[in-house]
Amino acid sequence: MAEAMHHEGEHHSNTVRLLGREITVEGGVYTVVFGALAVLTVIEVVSAEVLNGAIHDAPDAATTLQAIKAILLLGIAIIKSSLVIWFYMHLKTESRLIAIVILLPLLIAGLSIMFLLAIPPSGYGL
Amino acid sequence: MAELTASHLPAAAHDDHGHMSEEEHNNNMKLGVWLYLASEIVIFSIMIVGYIIFRINEKDIVAQAHEELGVGLVTANTFVLLASSFFMVMGLRAMQGGNRAGMLRWIGLTALGGIVFLGGQYIEYSELAHLGIVLGFDTASEWSTFGMRFYAPTFFHGAHVFVGVLWALEVMRRGAKGRYDNNPIGIEMFGLYWHFVDVVWIMLFTLIYLV
Repeated sequence: MAEAMHHEGEHHSNTVRLLGREITVEGGVYTVVFGALAVLTVIEVVSAEVLNGAIHDAPDAATTLQAIKAILLLGIAIIKSSLVIWFYMHLKTESRLIAIVILLPLLIAGLSIMFLLAIPPSGYGL
Repeated sequence: MAELTASHLPAAAHDDHGHMSEEEHNNNMKLGVWLYLASEIVIFSIMIVGYIIFRINEKDIVAQAHEELGVGLVTANTFVLLASSFFMVMGLRAMQGGNRAGMLRWIGLTALGGIVFLGGQYIEYSELAHLGIVLGFDTASEWSTFGMRFYAPTFFHGAHVFVGVLWALEVMRRGAKGRYDNNPIGIEMFGLYWHFVDVVWIMLFTLIYLV
């Protein structure tokens, strides 16, 4: 998304390359990331409200619209989380070991969630 | 990203007495915080999956809860927490640039953001209690099953914000004495924790209030 002009001085550079253009802003890449987080949050809330209205107006398509809403909003949330982890928590410049330390429990948690979701609401009748 | 190991520094990283270099010490401190955060992921995942299963099986109760909850206050609170994460990283940036006063100002704003967030959460909980959305021990209440699924992850997160505020104040106290002038690792460790709390809220906000 945004790239610092000089990698070594990335944390202290006020100039970033954004969508092919160089911009200078106090705080550099950190300010750009905060702006992206704010815009994505607004998009999230507005999308949820619009889709809630659509679900209310078209109950026949509620299941489909609900699925679209869940995928869209969770996708945005994952992008926002990744921005914070990559830029603010500096995973971008950390060792691969730290990436593994954080990705492994996420993978295990994700697999566990899928297994739990596969259990029917009524259980297995044991 | 760099090499696979955190302690991949050459043997020269230790001095003649076997003491670690500052860089190796910092890498080990950061790895310790990341490992702690990994354990937190598992704890929050349990609460989140509990809510997701409830969300799938009790669509009507959740739809009704969404109407009661609203998104105005919690959206404002989300912006406050996102801003506090920005303040945090700017505080670290200031200290890395040798600007102690700037660091104190940014970390102070971070703590203030956490306090405002907790204030917003207190107002929200008060309104929900007034509506009858409580912890769920009253099985006769229509909200009996929702309350625990809602309060468990949000309160646990709020407790983390509270700890973060205390940690921020401690960082300010130490920073004011010049503790981080030569090595800001203490600020970076607090930053990892604070940003993680922000990431958890990003997911909770979407899952509980929007989806």
